[in-house]
Amino acid sequence: MIEELRKIARDLLTSKKVGVVIGYAFVKANSNRTTPIFVTETEDIERLVFNPLCLNNLTVYLTKKKPEIQELGRPAIVAKGCDVRSILGLIKEFQLKREDVVIIGVGCEGVVRDFKDWSGKLTKESMPTKCLYCKVHVNELEAKPIEERRRFWKDQFEKCIRCYACRQVCPFCYCDRCISDKTMPRWIESSAHGRGNFAWNLIRAMHLAGRCISCEECNRVCPVEIPLNLLNREIEKEIQEKFEYVAGMDTETPPPLRIYSEKDDDAWIR
Amino acid sequence: MAKLLKVESPESVVEKLISLEKRVIAPVRDGRLHRFLPVTRMEDADFGYFQAEGSMKGYFLPATEGILKFSCTTNEQKLEEPDLEFPETFIVGCRPCDAAALSIQDKLFEWDYVDEFYKARRDSTTIVGLACTYADNNCFCTSMGLAPDSPDGSDILIVKTEEGFLAEISTKKGEKLASLLELKEKGSAEDRRRAGVNAGKLITREFRSEGIPGWLKSNFEHELWDSMCTKCIGCAACTFTCPTCHCFDIVDEPVGTSGERRKNWDACTLRTFTIHASGYNPRSVQYKRYRQRIEHKFNYYVDRFGRFLCTGCGRCIRVCPVSLDMAEVLEEISSRV
Repeated sequence: MIEELRKIARDLLTSKKVGVVIGYAFVKANSNRTTPIFVTETEDIERLVFNPLCLNNLTVYLTKKKPEIQELGRPAIVAKGCDVRSILGLIKEFQLKREDVVIIGVGCEGVVRDFKDWSGKLTKESMPTKCLYCKVHVNELEAKPIEERRRFWKDQFEKCIRCYACRQVCPFCYCDRCISDKTMPRWIESSAHGRGNFAWNLIRAMHLAGRCISCEECNRVCPVEIPLNLLNREIEKEIQEKFEYVAGMDTETPPPLRIYSEKDDDAWIR
Repeated sequence: MAKLLKVESPESVVEKLISLEKRVIAPVRDGRLHRFLPVTRMEDADFGYFQAEGSMKGYFLPATEGILKFSCTTNEQKLEEPDLEFPETFIVGCRPCDAAALSIQDKLFEWDYVDEFYKARRDSTTIVGLACTYADNNCFCTSMGLAPDSPDGSDILIVKTEEGFLAEISTKKGEKLASLLELKEKGSAEDRRRAGVNAGKLITREFRSEGIPGWLKSNFEHELWDSMCTKCIGCAACTFTCPTCHCFDIVDEPVGTSGERRKNWDACTLRTFTIHASGYNPRSVQYKRYRQRIEHKFNYYVDRFGRFLCTGCGRCIRVCPVSLDMAEVLEEISSRV
């Protein structure tokens, strides 16, 4: 499969159909870790790989957060199934046109949750939730009384250091001026205390409602290991129940928080 | 020549200090991570760890700190400064890379303006380091002039040797603690020397660093910045987990007509770090922001204070969401010197 991937990349570059191939390569110092690469010269094609260590959702490099990548020309991007959903979401939000990106879809059989979990081969225990299509963790927390859930998140957010790794790695967090960076007025306190952190993390989850496709990059990159995606999955469930909508499955179905539909449930208006 | 005394173990130090009702901070297991937290029972400390998620930085330069309270009425404004009395504190078991980071940061915070918040915390804290017996290939302390058993920054450094544990005492604070712990039996210099030889074998990643500042001075526009650093997504994971990074932002948090002025961690890797009031951003593209990080740590800080603003702890490499390996950038620069 890797030879086929490299051949496709080489053909795309030499025929000038694309200006850059965004993919994965091994880190030079460590063959148990991969990193994103931006291939513009054919001699770098050999660095491209695909394996269970290819964790990153590379879609983030298609967004307007990375104009310097957009300047490299029409991109081809190596994408796993979950990553493709975020590309479709971006097309739906008019961030790019379908014809302006070549999606090199790869048959992924699962990735490891984090580089730290890699033992030499992929095991069920080392896979992230998304790969198992399992919603067990959401159900566990959901079954608890609301006070316990509130306590859980309050304790988790005490650890948050406001590094914004979650925001920066997310393909859907591409606002020119994030609400947490706005002053005059300051909507969310930037300080890394419990109050500011609670506001930040909840608002980010709300701004992703109907958009997040649970690639779980936020979980992977959080330096203090807050299980951020659990919140997103809960909201995803609400969106599915109330609007019968699943994000990132096509580019046509309008997202529920952008469109008014007469079929929307009004029961909450009292 | 530092004084060497025998000590039972890092756990025994924690136990003794707790029995004397001292405030003790030690590594505590939290899920898959270890974090440095206050402990009230010896059993809560876990010294069988490689590296903690956060460095000691948070105990001297907290992620967020109130520096002033204010309240306004129609006729007057009241300002209230915080009480800078901190309890006597003992940090036990921090790695040499984290301890050395404190002596590096001291140079800045006690330079032309003494940061009273930082200094008050430093003065009330004693550092008991714990030499490493393990390193991974993201550790590069030896290239930063340190070592897995370096006593730099530790008042007492505990070293595991063939014969047990040794306490290497380097400062007056260390001597004071040694008497408090009633350490009396002298340790063997030969025993310490052999432990040092073993420590020297731990680090597998090394590069020559003395030529790096010079290269950085003449290569501000080099093409390697763009090619190696563009994948940076501009978060602050490296900066905030780094034991030596110290940039901060001052913000006011009003609630009605009163509130608090706070000092918060900031990062040059974030897009808005140098944004001007006009909206203009001199570091408009990500590689320029990452370049600044390298220039500050390996060029400007050396000019100013004679040391790298880095201890080679490797956290930046481990936490990076896109696996941007800072040591790889330094190795590339070193190869071009």
